[in-house]
Amino acid sequence: MAARPKTLKQARATYNTNWELAWWVFMRISGFLLIFLVFAHIFFNNIQINVASVDYAYVAKRLSTAWVKVYESFLLGLAMLHGTNGLRYSIEDYFRNPATRFWLKAVVFTLAAALFVIGVMALWAFSYQQMGNAMNAVGHGG
Amino acid sequence: MYRGREGQWAFVLHRITGVALALYLLLHVFDVGLVMYGPNGPFNAFLAFYHQWPFRIGLILVMAAVVYHGLNGLRIIVMDFTSWGIRYQRGMWYGVLVLTTAIGIPILIKVVPEILAGKA
Repeated sequence: MAARPKTLKQARATYNTNWELAWWVFMRISGFLLIFLVFAHIFFNNIQINVASVDYAYVAKRLSTAWVKVYESFLLGLAMLHGTNGLRYSIEDYFRNPATRFWLKAVVFTLAAALFVIGVMALWAFSYQQMGNAMNAVGHGG
Repeated sequence: MYRGREGQWAFVLHRITGVALALYLLLHVFDVGLVMYGPNGPFNAFLAFYHQWPFRIGLILVMAAVVYHGLNGLRIIVMDFTSWGIRYQRGMWYGVLVLTTAIGIPILIKVVPEILAGKA
């Protein structure tokens, strides 16, 4: 293994990448995955059933299912990062005043972070009954 | 006005649908988060409010935005990562529009009668 870079200048030369490049790549990878995740999410909850039949019981039953928790967690995380970064691109494209940019981004990032936490809490709030059953089936239940 | 032909309109639509979907996502997570207040919480009242026809038409627009943004995103990926993508970007954009319509029509056939019928 080569010696680690010791200065910022050396690091920049060594790791010929930066955050903007990482976000650029992330937008394409997450975008590709989100096509499948979002299309299926819409199909199951809006096309396969009448969306007007969705109520508390429907959501509680769905969110008590282990694979739904995992699936929707990936969807939530990728969509939040992809969407928030997209909003950042838009803010930086259309607002030139540094103060306006700062406050808009502060509001968007704070909202997104808070709603991400709310989303994770909602996804994992319901009983692990089905997960427990799966664990029992393989002999690790409590 | 800048006349950038198809590529410009592809970008403008991608921007508008992207911002709209990001804002929808924030609202959607907030709404679903209300399930944490339990069966007697505000969740069912919120959903009953959203099940009124103007919001259900709004949901059709959200779906249209998702399909366009996703398919045009594929076009962007092809443009960025293949040697031939840029050459065919205009044709691919028309392909995106045709596919968006092709996916949209069966959705309309399924969803519009449900909206006209009122409550589920």
